[in-house]
Amino acid sequence: MNVIEVKDLKKQFKVKEKEKGIKGSLKSILKPKYKEINAVNNISFEIEKGEMLAFIGPNGAGKSTTIKMLTGILYPTSGEINVMGLNPSKFRKKLAYKIGTVFGQKEQLWTHLTPYDNFKFFGAIYDLKDSEIETRIEELKKTFDLDEFINTPVRNLSLGQRIRCEIVASLIHKPDILFLDEPTIGLDPVVKQNIRKLIKKMNKELGTTIFLTSHDVGDIEKLCKRVIIINHGKMILDDLVENLKYSSKKPLEDIIAEIYEDNKLEV
Amino acid sequence: MRKYLYIYKATLIENLQYISNIILGMISFFVTIFVFLNLWDYMYADSSELINGYNINQMVWYVLIGEILWYGTRNKTLTNEISNDIKSGNIAYNINKPYNYVFYIISKHFGEITIKFITFILIGSVIGRIFVGKIIGFSLVSIPFIMIVVLLGVFINSIIRIAISVISFWIEDSNPFHWVYDKFILIFGTIFPIEMFPKILQSAMIFSPIFVVNYGPAKLIINFTFEKFIQIFIVQIIYIVILVLLLLLLYNKGVRKLNVNGG
Repeated sequence: MNVIEVKDLKKQFKVKEKEKGIKGSLKSILKPKYKEINAVNNISFEIEKGEMLAFIGPNGAGKSTTIKMLTGILYPTSGEINVMGLNPSKFRKKLAYKIGTVFGQKEQLWTHLTPYDNFKFFGAIYDLKDSEIETRIEELKKTFDLDEFINTPVRNLSLGQRIRCEIVASLIHKPDILFLDEPTIGLDPVVKQNIRKLIKKMNKELGTTIFLTSHDVGDIEKLCKRVIIINHGKMILDDLVENLKYSSKKPLEDIIAEIYEDNKLEV
Repeated sequence: MRKYLYIYKATLIENLQYISNIILGMISFFVTIFVFLNLWDYMYADSSELINGYNINQMVWYVLIGEILWYGTRNKTLTNEISNDIKSGNIAYNINKPYNYVFYIISKHFGEITIKFITFILIGSVIGRIFVGKIIGFSLVSIPFIMIVVLLGVFINSIIRIAISVISFWIEDSNPFHWVYDKFILIFGTIFPIEMFPKILQSAMIFSPIFVVNYGPAKLIINFTFEKFIQIFIVQIIYIVILVLLLLLLYNKGVRKLNVNGG
């Protein structure tokens, strides 16, 4: 069963162009010029329930734009999206109950509150009853080993502890799909491994579908069976990680870098 | 509704960390109040004198209440934070939650101003008592009615502020609009009651947000009548219905324009 279906998805941004210097600035006020950028250009793919997919590409490839369209934050210019049977741009709020998001570079937790207060807060946001929230916190506390710092304000946590809490906060409402946008960015190798283990456990035990973007080859190799590579908004590869790995004797990181280069694109 | 109460509660807990900021913020309030109270004291050479229908007791309390409403409810969340969120694209991380962003901001705003507003009310009341004694004719029975119009006034002010901030979806910077609105409320109706202005301006002001945000509630406190309460309350409800619809329309149109590049 497919939980995500994307067909001919396109997103164009209108970006203001300005000539250099004061003259250019004045000119852009009087006669503004815009150029259109295809951030996502006709991509199509499907993801099955329980799958762990790596959605990768160099900076500016269109990964985050795609995630934002899949979660209903951005409106596509054209194309069709179906996430858990819903059109995200029409039913963003309804869809929010079925998905979770973790953006490694953005905090969604309230930093002055403790993780426990944050989880209570997120539980309420997702309309869970108090008793349900408590049970869920207990479950997640064990799975993610939070006992030690669940009552410490988030601002005093280490990055690894914070990311763990970010993931827990996004799981409080038992989402069917979890979008992880660079969840291991800035983490040391040991913490990275822990986070990967937890993601794997979550996928195995709860059957959560994982949509992962990352620049870390370790994340892709250790977690995902399938990989989609996009660049300049276009899909350039959709294959099993295993196939990619054995396509050459080189390390996976080099293979991916070559794919980026072959497409004459920045890595 | 429960989730918005939680947002309110979480913000309130978070703001308990900033008590010292609130106390520091009072310095500018004290300075302004001190200057204006002395100014009015000087203008009322004879304490039985009436200026535009206000005796010194009413005038001092009017200015105090106006300043409390203005200083006690000012909040950067409504101005800088929304605009910055829109400009930087951070708003994206708020709108993918199962709540309405506009109501989220309003709940957050009330959570952020609660302690500050209560502190300003208490301190302001003490200053008023010291300067001119208690409000002449003030009855405790009027408090629930006053609370209603004051809270609705704060609510309307926050909707107007959010609506101004939401303009950031279309223009680079909404701060100039906030500045104009800020000074408009401050000069017309906060430091000077409407009656101080020429008749032509007065009738225009009665139909402006000044009436529901500060002039109406302040006037009701210093000279309470039930008829006046009903009048202000009805106009406030009309304002809320129109402004909320307008804000939601603006916001929903704006969100469609949202451009968030990169991660």
